[in-house]
Order: sequence, then structure tokens, then C-alpha cells
Amino acid sequence: MNTKILRKEFESRMAQLPSQGKDHEFRQKAMDAFYDSGFPSRQWETWKYTDLKPIASKEFQLIPKESTDGAHETASKLLTTCDLEAGPSRFIFLGGHHIPELSSEITTTGLHLSMFGYPSPENRSAFSEHSSKNFKEHPLAALNAAFSTQGVRIQVAEKTNIDTAIHLVFLDSNLENQTSQPRILIDLKAESKITIVQHFLGSNLNSGWTNSVTEISQAPGSDLTLYQFQEHGTEHFHTGLLSSSLASDASIKLGFIDLGGRLTRNDVHVNLDGAGAKTELFGIFLATDGQHIDNHTRIDHRAPETKSIETFRGIVGDRGRGVFNGKVVVHPDAQKVDAQQSNDNLLLSEKAEIDTKPELEIYADEVKCSHGATVGDLDTEQLFYMKSRGIKESDAREILIFAFANEILKLIELPQLRERVAHRTAHHLPGHDRLGVEL
Amino acid sequence: MLQIENLHVCVENQPILNDLNLEVNAGQVHAIMGPNGSGKSTLAQVLAGRDDYKVTQGNITFCGQNLLEMQPEERAHLGLFLAFQYPTEIPGVNNAYLLKAALNAQRTARNEQEVDAFEFMNLIKNKMKMMQIPEAFLNRSVNEGFSGGEKKRNEILQMLTLEPSLAILDETDSGLDVDALRIVADGVNNLRSPERSLILVTHYERLLELVVPDFVHVLAGGKIVKSGDRDLARYLDEHGYDWVQTEVSA
Repeated sequence: MNTKILRKEFESRMAQLPSQGKDHEFRQKAMDAFYDSGFPSRQWETWKYTDLKPIASKEFQLIPKESTDGAHETASKLLTTCDLEAGPSRFIFLGGHHIPELSSEITTTGLHLSMFGYPSPENRSAFSEHSSKNFKEHPLAALNAAFSTQGVRIQVAEKTNIDTAIHLVFLDSNLENQTSQPRILIDLKAESKITIVQHFLGSNLNSGWTNSVTEISQAPGSDLTLYQFQEHGTEHFHTGLLSSSLASDASIKLGFIDLGGRLTRNDVHVNLDGAGAKTELFGIFLATDGQHIDNHTRIDHRAPETKSIETFRGIVGDRGRGVFNGKVVVHPDAQKVDAQQSNDNLLLSEKAEIDTKPELEIYADEVKCSHGATVGDLDTEQLFYMKSRGIKESDAREILIFAFANEILKLIELPQLRERVAHRTAHHLPGHDRLGVEL
Repeated sequence: MLQIENLHVCVENQPILNDLNLEVNAGQVHAIMGPNGSGKSTLAQVLAGRDDYKVTQGNITFCGQNLLEMQPEERAHLGLFLAFQYPTEIPGVNNAYLLKAALNAQRTARNEQEVDAFEFMNLIKNKMKMMQIPEAFLNRSVNEGFSGGEKKRNEILQMLTLEPSLAILDETDSGLDVDALRIVADGVNNLRSPERSLILVTHYERLLELVVPDFVHVLAGGKIVKSGDRDLARYLDEHGYDWVQTEVSA
């Protein structure tokens, strides 16, 4: 994707949109930002371990083709492989295009959910006033803003508790070399509550690229739980930025589960802007057979008595590679902050690699912070104990690997999702059928 | 059932066992006593197949087979069980899952039908009652957050479930109060039969009052220096180990 192609693609994209209006200007601004920076390179400190060349050098279709005949059947089939989303609140996208036929209609009071993008009959804006803040630091978010085809805006009214989880399912395109650039805008009014699942799913061998942006804005006392479950096809690339800002006493629980894809990079940025805001951030990934998974997180404690607990675990085998970077910044006036971070990794082969970097920047004096990172093989004492009970070595290893992941999976509060994730995790272990899965 | 001949073992290049000989026949209960550092636990671990303990000389035959050539799991399949002195915690693996997986691994190795979840629960219900282990324990991670006594009772529950032909109890009595000791002893006695053998590794005599051994051996300096019956254990309890060491060096 050289600049010439990018410009041409962008011009055709813009030609499809209404020529005036805020969104038009916004997309232009986003594209200009991307022209300035280009794809992040490994010279960037934040991209030291992840090389985007495999994406940048490919001729991905930035304006994805509409799904062809039979695509809906393919999508339906894929969906039946997991009954996870078969609830009343699911929204299905295929290769970046919303499929109303497979999606639910929302009639819940206090929940406003709308699709936007081209063609957008209601002409809703795909952007919030915060959207442009990230362009400089996250060029891929700018690219998403410039090209984004479709997305969702979810708004929960004041003091409304939505008790059914919303599932947004993004299926890999059944066509070769397509991009999907979903935008998800979440806006929680004061003291509202909701759970959202972003599920990326694919089973084909097509090369493709998903570049998502999730923007979250939480009013005082609101409560969001969001899980991102990534199980793309094996030749799919995934990049994504999730950024959120929390007013006083708001809380956000974020879970990232990465099992699929060729290369994955999650950028997560949580801003604890109001006093008493808190976040629980966790993740688990499994990288084998040349997969590359990178989680870059940043938590800004900008107000007093804010709290963060961050727990990421990685399992890498074969020629897999895992990266974790967890930055926690405690700003000058943010006293009585509690910030805990841990990152534990299982390195199961000599050809596998893990790069982990916790970063703490503390500018306040009354804080409680802890962090720790470990990289290691399975515990020999535990292996010996299990073998002494008659369990053969290979089974003992798989049980321990699963147990390591399971400590994170337990944090998923949706039983169906937890089971699905546990099942899929176990699926990556050769003896899974015999060993069974127990939580 | 078990013959140990001329066993020499090194741990981190330090000789721990020197020319140890022991024969245990079916149905017998042997107690191995000795001061700290005499090599009691090393012997237990070597029998179970710990690979960082190096056997430099000697033979061990178990049920007619060369034990030293077998993997820990193969030893278990043949009916050997070690109750650990410090049972390992395994976060994330649930207690019932491990026990069922172990039982089925052993059954499969012996060409027996695996048990399903229902049969398994039926099988262990009474054993749990005997060991006074509440059902909630089954769903907790293996040994994680268990008290010392709970860990030891859990080891005996595993032993009762796996029904080994030779069980080695490595200081299972240490750290137990009187009530817990009795529960453990009841469990052990329950397993005693003419076909099964037991090796009780212990520092104190009190377990041997409840599980009466046929033979008592004193291990010192890496070898068995004295053997006798239960009276030897009582004598040791009264007089300590110093006299043994004096007698040996004399």
C-alpha cells in the first residue's frame, strides 16, 4: 500500500460520501494525519517488537467489496459453529458490512443502538469530539477514521441497567485481501450499566486485515464490561485501538482474549479522569505456529483515589511470539491511587519469544503501586506431582497450560462466553478431547 | 514386592544415600525413622521417580520390574504411590479433575474401563467422609490455600482412591494435631490388606501407635543402621537418635 494507492483509494472513498459536513472534514483531517506519519515503524518505541510491514506491503482493499452471493449463508454457517451470540442482542458484520438480516432489533428502553457509515440513511456521525485526539499517536486509528465503512454507536441512558449483553460479531470476509475497519462508539450516561462483547471470528484461510477503533465515554458512576474475543482465521491481521475516558466513580472491566490471527496488535488506553474511577483490565493470549500477538496498554490515573488492576497472561509455543507493554501513569494530583499490574508468560518452546515491559511513571507521592512480570516454562514440581499420580507427561503439560489460562478465563463473567473461550483454548491443546475441560 | 539393593543416591553432587538395602513384602508395613537429614525423604522421592535425584549405584525392583528404568507415571500405573511431605499446589487445576484424571490414567494403563463423573463421585463419596473432606474441596484448586492438615488429608484421599499396592507416606504425620492424625491413621489402616504394603517415613513415633508397623528401620548417614519391631520406635521416642549414631560409629 504505497501513498499513491492510498490517495487514490481515499479519493474514491470520499467521492462516495456526501461532499459536505463535519464527517467529511473529519475524514480529511484523519487522512492528512496518516499521510504525515505513515504506518508506524519499528523505529517507534511503541512498535519496537511488532513489525507492520506484512500489512503495509500487502495490497489490501481499503474500500472492502460488498459480500457476494452465498456470503450470508457462509456467515450463518460460521455463526452456528458458536451459539454464543444466538441471544436477542446480536449484531453481525461480514467483512466490515452490517448484515441486518442476521442481526437483532433493539427495543430495550434506555438503550440506543445505531449503525452508521456509508450509506447512512440517518446520516449519523461516525465520530465523537474525542476521535481526533488519537490520530498522532495512533496512525492506524486515523486510517480507520478516514476509511471506516460501518460501525455502531451504543448509548445507554442515565440510570439504566441493560442486563442482556450486546454481542457485536465481526466475521472475516469470505473474499481475499479485504479490510474491515469497524468503529464502535460507546457512550454511557451517569449510573448506567451494560456488558458488550466484540467478537472477531473467521475460519477461512484468506488474507485480510481488521483495523478497529472503539471509543468509550463514561459519565459518573457508570459501569461497563467489555470483552474482546479474537479468533480470526490464521492468515488474518488484526490491529485495534480501544480508548476510554471515565468520569468520577465510573468503572470499566476490559477483557482481551486473543487466540487467532497471524499478527495481532491491541492498543488499549484507559483514562481514569474522575476521582474514584476504576478499571480492571485483563487478557490472555495463545500464540503458536508463527503467530504474533502484541498487547500494548496504557492506564492514566489523572484523579485521586482511582484504581487499576491489570493482569495479562501469555502462552507462546512453536515459533509464536508475544509482546506485552503495560504503561501506568500516575499524574501529579492523583493521590491515593492504587495500581497493580502483573504479566505472566509461559514460554513453551525454544523458538518462541516473549517481550514484556511494564512501565510505571509516578508523579504523585501517596500511591500504592505494584507490578511484576514473569516468563517461564511449566513448573517442574507440579509436573512431577501429577506424573506421580499416573498422569503422563504430555497430558500433565496440557492440563497445566490450560490451568494457567483458566486463571484468567475465570474473570469472564458471562458463562456462555467463558465456556466458549475455555473450549477454544483447550482446542489448541492436542489432547483436549480426552482431557476434557473443567472450570 | 519391593527390593532395594545397595542404593546410592546423590542430590546436587552430594551423596545422600549410601548402600541402602530394604525388602518389603506384600502385606507388610515398614516404618523408616531417622534424624533430620538422614535421607528419609530422598528415599521416598527416589522411589516415586524424581529425576533430579541421581541414582549412582544399586537396584530397585518393584513387582518384579526394574523401577529405576520407569517414568514416575509408569510407577504409579504399577501401583506405587507417594504421599508427599509437602503436597504441591496447582492453581487452576481443580482437585476433583486431577484425581479423576489420575484414576482414569491408571485404569487406562491397566486396560480397565474409565470411570465417568457419576461413577467417580460414587467412588470417592465415602472416602471423603472418612477423611472428613467436605465436597466443596473438590472444586478448589489442588492444594491451593489448603491448611497443612487439609493437604495431608487430601493426599490420603488420593491414596484411598487410587488404591496403590505400595504406598510411601513421607512424613504425613508432621504438622498434624491429634484429631487430624487420627483421621489420617484411620485412612491408612483402611487401606491395609494382605496384598498391600506401606512404607511410613516418619520422624516421630506417634503415628506408629495408630498404624502399627511390622518393621521399624533407623536410617542414619544414608543407610539403614538398625532394624527392629515397634518397640524400637518406642525406644527411639524415649531416647532420641543420638545413641544410634554413637553405636554406629563405635
